[in-house]
Amino acid sequence: MNEMSKNENLDIQIYNFAYLDENTKRMIRRALLKALCIPGYQVPFSSREMPMPYGWGTGGIQVTSACLIPKDILKVIDQGADDTTNAVSIRKFFQKTANVAVTEKTSDASLIQTRHRIPETKLKEKQILVYQVPIPEPLRFLEPRETETRKMHALSEYGLMYVKLYEDIAKHGHIETAYAYPVKTNGNYVTDPSPIPKFDNPKMNNSPAIQLFGAGREQRIYAIPPYTNVKSLDFEDYPFEAMKANFKCSICGSSDSYLDEIIVSDDGKRSYICSDTDYCKEQTKLNSKKED
Amino acid sequence: MENYPFSENSINSSIAFRSLVNATSYPGRTFQINKLNKPSVLSNAAATILITLCDNESNVYLSKEYNTEEVRNWLIFNTGAIISNKKNADFVIGTWKSLLPLNEFKIGVPEYPERSATLIIEETKYKKVKCNIDGPGIKNKLNIDLPNPELFIENNNLYPLGLDFYFTNDLEILSIPRSTKINIIKSEH
Repeated sequence: MNEMSKNENLDIQIYNFAYLDENTKRMIRRALLKALCIPGYQVPFSSREMPMPYGWGTGGIQVTSACLIPKDILKVIDQGADDTTNAVSIRKFFQKTANVAVTEKTSDASLIQTRHRIPETKLKEKQILVYQVPIPEPLRFLEPRETETRKMHALSEYGLMYVKLYEDIAKHGHIETAYAYPVKTNGNYVTDPSPIPKFDNPKMNNSPAIQLFGAGREQRIYAIPPYTNVKSLDFEDYPFEAMKANFKCSICGSSDSYLDEIIVSDDGKRSYICSDTDYCKEQTKLNSKKED
Repeated sequence: MENYPFSENSINSSIAFRSLVNATSYPGRTFQINKLNKPSVLSNAAATILITLCDNESNVYLSKEYNTEEVRNWLIFNTGAIISNKKNADFVIGTWKSLLPLNEFKIGVPEYPERSATLIIEETKYKKVKCNIDGPGIKNKLNIDLPNPELFIENNNLYPLGLDFYFTNDLEILSIPRSTKINIIKSEH
């Protein structure tokens, strides 16, 4: 079937295609389709132990495993970067177990697994974006009981979330939440966008791509179908603002992409670079073409 | 191997599932399904949905045209699914007429809206009414033909509860999930 998953000495296949067995995939696939039918609603699933620790994307790789097809081109990012530990190991994992092609280019990828960022390059129809989610329940820090949060979602009782945002304003003069900023999906469920910076929130709205979310430890799957209204919660007098550090990338000079702050010298000198490494490369290429 | 539904199980099932993801994500648009080994009475598309998604936790209701020994044996042997009544069914297969009225199927509960039936509508000989659909997954309003659109409107009114539909026709599949809003296009006289 695929060479990497065969042990030639024994002439047996070690892994099923993309690691997970078919029974598990069926269970995840049913959850995924229901999740797409009920945008923003968290579908429980019986999450499996994966060969990596919780918190490293066990939900994400289960979703990717259930979705992957042999002709996929996979991209994996961690905080926007293709070359960080988490991204490299997950990419290798699927090269080994599914023998899929991989890329760093957002526009070439058919399936992108991400930790905490949405690529800067606009996504296209039928591209799948799989988010790794630590805490899928946006109300969890406000109400620890699952039975209660479930009821709150059922009744669209989101007053508590607005109180939290209001308290931010009362204390700090503005909404302090800077990542995992809650959204309302399809005018119905309040949804956790995973810990992406709120700069990325507007990219979720009306995206042509398919957005799937997997939380392994918390055993939840949810989805935002393409062309779905995703609204960041706010108040009329304190409208939502997507913000980023007000600098330019010191590599490509871009002022419109999300920036990471890095300390570059012992005396604490700071520099800012694009968090999305692929976007930064593309911009650098464009710049050098302009100079030619 | 030639009697297995898929020639290469995990590869073919992954490709089949991708078509289902696309169909569910972009309601009202037609997506292609590959051929498989299946009972003659089932369409390739309907058989693919069952074989890709059902296991021994799935209750399947077969309407009388599909409740044959061949279908039952094929489904039970390959998936372990439980042949069930309308009330408990997770997956339902039948012609449009044979499945009416729809109110016997489960629509989920407020705390667990996903505990609802998925209806697979075989054949396309129902009386078609021109409709306009909108909602998640639909970029610009789409025109499609639906049977008894008032039932789909009623279903959408239950949102986030409700039934999710797949229309299957040989190698084609089209979805109308509960989130899809339906407008009947008034014919001009």
